[in-house]
Amino acid sequence: MAARASIIPFRPRPQRGEKLISNGVLGMLLFVFVEIMLFAGFISAFVIIKSRAVGSVWPPPNQPRLPFEETAVNTAALITSGIVLLIAHRMYQRGKESVGVLLAVATLLGGAFVWLQGAEWLALIREGLTMTSSTYGSLFYTIIGAHAAHAVAAICVLVWAWVRMMGGKLSREAMSTVSLFWYFVVLVWPFLYFQVYL
Amino acid sequence: MLGAAGAALVLVAAMPEALHACPVCFDRDDEARIAFLATTGLLTLLPLGMVVGTGVWLRRRARELRGDEGGGGEARD
Repeated sequence: MAARASIIPFRPRPQRGEKLISNGVLGMLLFVFVEIMLFAGFISAFVIIKSRAVGSVWPPPNQPRLPFEETAVNTAALITSGIVLLIAHRMYQRGKESVGVLLAVATLLGGAFVWLQGAEWLALIREGLTMTSSTYGSLFYTIIGAHAAHAVAAICVLVWAWVRMMGGKLSREAMSTVSLFWYFVVLVWPFLYFQVYL
Repeated sequence: MLGAAGAALVLVAAMPEALHACPVCFDRDDEARIAFLATTGLLTLLPLGMVVGTGVWLRRRARELRGDEGGGGEARD
């Protein structure tokens, strides 16, 4: 048998196009979708329990009222933090490297939000609103606590991003991923605030 | 699939009392009924909206990228 000479024609490797979305952002987007559904479930449970309150009285009698006005300050701090991060993010995407101060301000404002929330919780516990005092208390601590846990985690990630940025090692993808997490924490809050506190 | 849906429909038509178990359709309290309906709508449409929204965004982004590459002078496909 004669060996067949095979000639493999040279084909240039096709150029890989630019990615539609980076791996980090895609992963964070999926995570955020899951968390949005978690909070949608919380809000749904809250709305249904509230609608079936005995005698349509909500919050239940003998339970402290939530400090709507004081929490407006926390809300303002959180939203400002989100806006500052948005500015920093856009500047960083455009190639401006010196946004460390803005990132630090956004992180500190986020930290202030969590700190003020903690102070508010202590006051509420002193007034008698606990996880076991009523359905109202358990719903409040579960929903707002879940948000606070996300806020703390996001602040840790922001601190990590700031450290990397100071070292000149933060990629644009990583900045987008971190920012997406914080935008989620900021944007979900107004829904919780108006639903739970009002 | 269609057969199963048809069987379920016949079953429901044969036992209309069973439908009273549905809290969305039968609640004496208006506020509770509206809450059930609203939250059912929210939990049904929200994931669909997120998936569709992401799809639309990705499609738009793909077009933008294609447009950028096309602007470079080289025709593609």
